[in-house]
Amino acid sequence: MRYDSITEAIGNTPLVRIDPAVHGLRHIDLYAKLELLNPFGSVKDRAAWHMARAGLADAVAHGSQVVELSSGNTAKALAVIAGMHGLSFKSVTNRMRIPEIKDLLLLLGAEIEELPGQSECLDPTNTDDPLTLFHRELSGLGHSYLHTDQYFNARNTEAHTTGTGPEIVKDLDGRAPDWFIACVGTAGSSTGVARVLREHDPRVRVVGLVAGKADFIPGIRTLDEVHEVGLFDPDTYDTMESVSSDEAIEGMLTLARRCGILAGPTGGAAYYGTVRHLQAWDDELTSGQGSAAARGARRSAVFIVCDRIESYLGYTRQRRPDLFHQPPRRNAVADLTAAEIASAGAIDTQDAQKWMVQERPLVVDLRSPFAYAALHIEGAINIVDELFEELVRGGLPFGKQQPVLLVCPVGEQSARYAALLTRMGHPDVRSLSGGVIAWRDAGAPLVRE
Amino acid sequence: MRHVRFQGGHLAAAVPSSPEPLSLEPRLEERLASLLRSGRLLHTLVDALGSPLNVVLPDQIAENAERFRAAYGTRHLGGQVFFAHKANRSSALVRRLAAADAAVDVASLGELQHALGAGFTPDRIMATGPKNPEFLWLAARTGVTVNVDSYGELEALATLVRERELARIRVLLRLSAFDGPGVRVLSRPSRFGSPAGELEQLLKAVERHADAVELIGVGYHLDTTSLDEKARALEGCVRAMDACRGRGLRPRVVDIGGGFGVNYLAHGAQWERYTSALTAAVLGRRPAITWRGHGYGLRNDAGTLRGSLALYPAHRPVAGDRYLDELLSLPAPSFGGRPLATLLLENLYDLYTEPGRALVDQCGLVLARVLEVRRTDGGEHLVRLGMKADDAGLEEHGVLMDPVLLARDGVRATCGGEPVGVYLAGSLCLEADLITRRMVFLPRLPRPGELLGFANTAGYCMDFQTSGAQHQPVARKVAAWQEEGSWHWCLDEQYWPITRPGGER
Ligand SMILES: Cc1ncc(COP(=O)(O)O)c(C=O)c1O
Repeated sequence: MRYDSITEAIGNTPLVRIDPAVHGLRHIDLYAKLELLNPFGSVKDRAAWHMARAGLADAVAHGSQVVELSSGNTAKALAVIAGMHGLSFKSVTNRMRIPEIKDLLLLLGAEIEELPGQSECLDPTNTDDPLTLFHRELSGLGHSYLHTDQYFNARNTEAHTTGTGPEIVKDLDGRAPDWFIACVGTAGSSTGVARVLREHDPRVRVVGLVAGKADFIPGIRTLDEVHEVGLFDPDTYDTMESVSSDEAIEGMLTLARRCGILAGPTGGAAYYGTVRHLQAWDDELTSGQGSAAARGARRSAVFIVCDRIESYLGYTRQRRPDLFHQPPRRNAVADLTAAEIASAGAIDTQDAQKWMVQERPLVVDLRSPFAYAALHIEGAINIVDELFEELVRGGLPFGKQQPVLLVCPVGEQSARYAALLTRMGHPDVRSLSGGVIAWRDAGAPLVRE
Repeated sequence: MRHVRFQGGHLAAAVPSSPEPLSLEPRLEERLASLLRSGRLLHTLVDALGSPLNVVLPDQIAENAERFRAAYGTRHLGGQVFFAHKANRSSALVRRLAAADAAVDVASLGELQHALGAGFTPDRIMATGPKNPEFLWLAARTGVTVNVDSYGELEALATLVRERELARIRVLLRLSAFDGPGVRVLSRPSRFGSPAGELEQLLKAVERHADAVELIGVGYHLDTTSLDEKARALEGCVRAMDACRGRGLRPRVVDIGGGFGVNYLAHGAQWERYTSALTAAVLGRRPAITWRGHGYGLRNDAGTLRGSLALYPAHRPVAGDRYLDELLSLPAPSFGGRPLATLLLENLYDLYTEPGRALVDQCGLVLARVLEVRRTDGGEHLVRLGMKADDAGLEEHGVLMDPVLLARDGVRATCGGEPVGVYLAGSLCLEADLITRRMVFLPRLPRPGELLGFANTAGYCMDFQTSGAQHQPVARKVAAWQEEGSWHWCLDEQYWPITRPGGER
């Protein structure tokens, strides 16, 4: 394959059969449409390119900024496309809750604006929601924007009626599957694909997947939120079902570990929702209800894998810390007993001042560099606690002849580290009791450098 | 949808025209629940003092203050909790706090006079918000801390102190419009505080007026439920504090304002079901559940939902002291991701908070008598109450909650049979005087003479906007407390934390 531009690599994604040993359906062949293999990483590459392409020449002529309300994948694709054409891109949203994606967008040169949260002291007569303000700004004079408007732009759906849908039919040898299952974000992919499949076979059943109301799966809307999407038409779907974030992660793990498909949570949600939905039908086919013809025949289902796993490590860690088991640590403060901490050498401000004159202990301030820089005990060195923890894991970071005074804000953390260093064999380490706060309150000097 | 299949119960609310009652049961902690079980007493009170009647629970506010204190304590943070007085006019609540480990934030001359009269010494009073000359004078005269709202106010205060030869006064600078590293967070523009970008100019004035004012810190109050916006502002304050230290000033306090929120509802599932049903009703997919199809800010634009829900998020799993705790746990990206609490502690800063609504959580009850029950032309049940909409401003503040129905014998009506949906009308001769525009589901149809109790109204929803319109009485207010297993009460203005009617405690 040889291309002149990366955008030519958008689309024509593989349709991969899921091993029945994994999904356990006896009469239904299950296929994953691997949209994660698009060049910028997601199904949104198609819509972004199709929506932007129409206005690019004009935007380049006017130096317009490309803008979109996007929580990630569309923004990612648009940022790349804008950059390729010498344009800037801005994403406005308050749905972007995946820090890795935010960072990636910044890396790609995108400008991001987060919409404010809800007012705590409500004015119920105020109709200026942040989105209204956003649209007003777009239509203001003196600005030139290419607003791709993914929630309302028919070209979003069209990218799938001309691409994704026909590709599925082609790969199924000219037939539509019996079921088509997709997560609903902008509704563009599900609407576009459903339209094409129904043209081929009106009997195809379409399942839309959304998140539970109080739940969060990146890129998917909840059942209420889908109504805010201009492209959403309830008649597109034979049924709407909800998937929880736990289920999405479960599906994601199965796809990654057992099928080699490194899908993100929405792909996981689609897989999980698909298998759950089809199980009942599969049982029905087994129990032999329905016509004799229907019994022996194999059925097929297609679901969409929207994007890739890599951006969702933090999201997954937050919900499933068990998946990130860490090896046991040596010399960890967490292993100390309360008695060890209580018996660690402590010294108050007055005695510490004398000790410093007589023995010249090394004073280690465990606070952050910023706080240290602002005010600290003269002569102290700064090793922030996180770093100190790493350091002691490998052994004592200073000689046993060197007395040490550990300092933290209130003397709690320093007591722990003093106990740890004592356990590791240091003969004279003490913790400043009451910490820098007690030191300050006693009127002892602090310096700023 | 061609047909809807439900999985995991999540989508149950989507059934079109489902007949189930859309209850929004109030969250009741033990003290308020116990008061509502004392229905006979409540009937006696309304019989004697009239409808509507406000009841406040001073011991609850002290308990709430302790919870905020505990959130400071687990993080070793010093500082003070200032009750934002504006949330409620009550004397009992303020006097009770004066006897506890708490302080008060006053936003007007009247509130300052009230706080001083309730026993707060000036070191436990902070004047916030934009101030008129009299307010500023009394603040400076008595030596309370002034949270300076603007450059002009700082100048006026310094001039006043100098010209009247008053003692040097402690000030905080209230900042707004913070920006930070990384992603830009848009904030609702505020009419209050000075833009953080003008700090330099403010500090020059502080230095110029060093004989009159002593800068003890900086702060913000953001009207938002978003933790991220507040975290960013808090980081901005720490940066501002460092700028102060860099100039040789020694401020110690970061004031993070109020807005910690209240969880009003007992069940999150009811809230989810209700808001889904409201969406469906606005889109015409189920019968209306509000007076004349009111959408609470939502509208149907050719099948697409537009606008935004103008309702307080009544079910909030994280509110009050827990919200504070969550905020303090957030990482500060521009300071190496250390938690905000650690950032404050390490820099030796004290924390000030100004909870209003959150500190009077579970502290109040508005009682109203049922005057009439009838049917409208449309066949809807209409219950007319002995109160006006502004007597329990739940609707005005976007808080949706069911009232509690108390029968004449004092027993709370429970759901035996099928609940009935009713609309609650006020006593003004105005079509608009509805206590709430939402259809409220009661366990049964109420009868004249029975009481409806609106729980948890102490934060802005009790007397924030009561009027004497149409010569209708403004609600009397009583304070209630438990002693030796039973409830006692007195008029709000008679309450003092040490004495009880009839003698000392
Ligand atoms: C300066 C200030 N502090 C505190 C509050 C109290 O906020 P809340 O009642 O939301 O806690 C307000 C409310 O407007 C305020 O303006």
